[in-house]
Amino acid sequence: MAFLELTNISKVFGQTPAVQDFNLQVEKGEFVSFLGPSGCGKTTTLRMIAGFELPTTGTVVVNGNDVTNKPPQKRNTGMVFQAYALFPNMNVAENIGFGLKIARKPKDEIKKRVEEVLAIIKMESFGNRYPYQLSGGQQQRVALARALAIQPQVLLLDEPLSALDAKIRVSLRQEIRAIQQKLGITTVYVTHDQEEALSLSDRVVVMNNSKIEQVGTPFEIYNFPKTEFTAQFVGTLNSIPATVRHAANGELTVDSQTLVTAQKLAGIADGEAVMISIRPERISFASEGRKPNVLNIKVENITFLGSIVRVQVRAGEHLFLMDTFNNPFLKLPEVGDKVEITFSKEAVLVLRHASQI
Amino acid sequence: MKRIPLFPWILIFLGFLYFFLPLIGTLDFSLRLVKDQITLEAYKNVVTSARFQNTFTYSFIMALWTIVAATLLVTPTVYWVHLKLPHLRPIVEFITLLTYVVPAIILVFGLIRIYSRPPLSLLESEIGSDFLLVMGYVSLALPAMYRSVDAGLRAIDVRTLTEAAQSLGAGWRTILLDVIFPNLRVALLSGAFVTFAMVIGEFTIATFLARPAFGPYMANLGQTRPYESTALTIISLALTWACIGMMQLLGRGAQGQIAGTR
Ligand SMILES: Nc1ncnc2c1ncn2[C@@H]1O[C@H](COP(=O)(O)OP(=O)(O)O)[C@@H](O)[C@H]1O
Ligand SMILES: [Mg+2]
Repeated sequence: MAFLELTNISKVFGQTPAVQDFNLQVEKGEFVSFLGPSGCGKTTTLRMIAGFELPTTGTVVVNGNDVTNKPPQKRNTGMVFQAYALFPNMNVAENIGFGLKIARKPKDEIKKRVEEVLAIIKMESFGNRYPYQLSGGQQQRVALARALAIQPQVLLLDEPLSALDAKIRVSLRQEIRAIQQKLGITTVYVTHDQEEALSLSDRVVVMNNSKIEQVGTPFEIYNFPKTEFTAQFVGTLNSIPATVRHAANGELTVDSQTLVTAQKLAGIADGEAVMISIRPERISFASEGRKPNVLNIKVENITFLGSIVRVQVRAGEHLFLMDTFNNPFLKLPEVGDKVEITFSKEAVLVLRHASQI
Repeated sequence: MKRIPLFPWILIFLGFLYFFLPLIGTLDFSLRLVKDQITLEAYKNVVTSARFQNTFTYSFIMALWTIVAATLLVTPTVYWVHLKLPHLRPIVEFITLLTYVVPAIILVFGLIRIYSRPPLSLLESEIGSDFLLVMGYVSLALPAMYRSVDAGLRAIDVRTLTEAAQSLGAGWRTILLDVIFPNLRVALLSGAFVTFAMVIGEFTIATFLARPAFGPYMANLGQTRPYESTALTIISLALTWACIGMMQLLGRGAQGQIAGTR
């Protein structure tokens, strides 16, 4: 039995469904992210775990206890908000000790615990500062410490890094992951940033339109997206219309050129129109070595992005992107050149819609 | 050289004259109890009189009760509206503004008609009358209290702070006392000073409820002792200004704190 179990959860606000058919099992100590565009129901799901919203249907079970109808103050979940939400009238130590004070822990125990968590977030000397005397990143670390101080069963974070600038976002993200692994605390993390979700999580739940699109490890989500939405939302992706030529052999045509996919095309008829996806980084110039698939294209545009070079190419009427690593000896074609590109069978993913899985 | 715009300055000067000439006249008059001499005699007479002391103390205490009652009524209400019923905010605001529409004289007759007869008969006892007076004052204080508490709550993220406290195990009482009230300190104090100034000078309700308050005493003095009553006017003006000054001071402190939040 999993540590956190969400079973058949749905939530309807008035007429609009915010979350539907949500089923998820999170193991003890696991770090799970909800990833999806704004408005897809991530926050609502998190708030049902915290107890701020009652599910319209379904149950929330934590550590074997059904907490579906328990008020938030009885759930022992740690919550970190995008807006920090530190109590402005209390200093850092009082903020962190707030939950312990409510639990009527003895004073010296509170003091000891506050010092412990301050050490975890590396802010030992900040106990007497007030929130308005801290930077955004520091405030969010204190908010994390405050949530950890009560030793919650589950740690919930709702876009905790969105209000911070890029550098701090990356460093704090690594810090959160390190602390989570050290404490082994079961964590659910909400974000619309795919890089955040992929780099932090044991598993990612991709959501769209109030539903789960796919659950999997970052590796699975990135390399084997099951739906067009997941493929599009996670990473840069080329979606190219194609026609199935011979399903049994995995043969497709794009711009009347033939491609082969390693994917089984069971249930798809010959002649059917599908979408295929190829990640830009899996395509290379045929001059560097040929792979099973070769396409004739025209170079439309070349962009330097530092460590990689992004080339926009055209096959017939379809435009798509390829990325190659930058190096000083790279021999790039010119814009307008007609060259061959190449990629493996495995790079060609045939996408289906969520309903077909 | 830049031309100094003359017209606005003339307007400002005229405005200044309009407001301050009568004041200066009053101040001057209050200092002339003794013929051909500038003296504080009138002030001394006022401050040492037993009626001044009694009525002022009475109104002071009533003001404190009014502030306590209004705070306890307004804060949880406005908090709840902010948190759970934001769409009701215009309605609540309208209700608090009714005080401006209903004259005090109508209010006090309504209070007397309803509460002076059985089963309550509040006017038969001192404490009942005082209670009614405070309740009347609370309704007069509503606009000021509502406005400051509303502004105070808008300056903090009520909903997220509440949820943060809840997730840490806090119940409603703890949230109100340890999180909401302390963050409204400045807002509540500024509401309190306005209320205080209002109660100290209030005349109509106190008169018709026959309470020994400061407002009726001032009016009464005006009819019999001209020098002392102008001295009293200056004193009460100074008090009001002191209240406003305190508010400004507190407001500035609060702004520093809010501006510091990043
Ligand atoms: N309290 C609410 N009342 C009505 N609709 C809401 C409420 N909270 C969220 N919604 C709606 O539910 C949907 C999902 O919202 P949310 O869970 O906040 O999305 P996300 O966090 O993924 O951006 C949105 O369409 C939003 O407008
Ligand atoms: Mg959200």
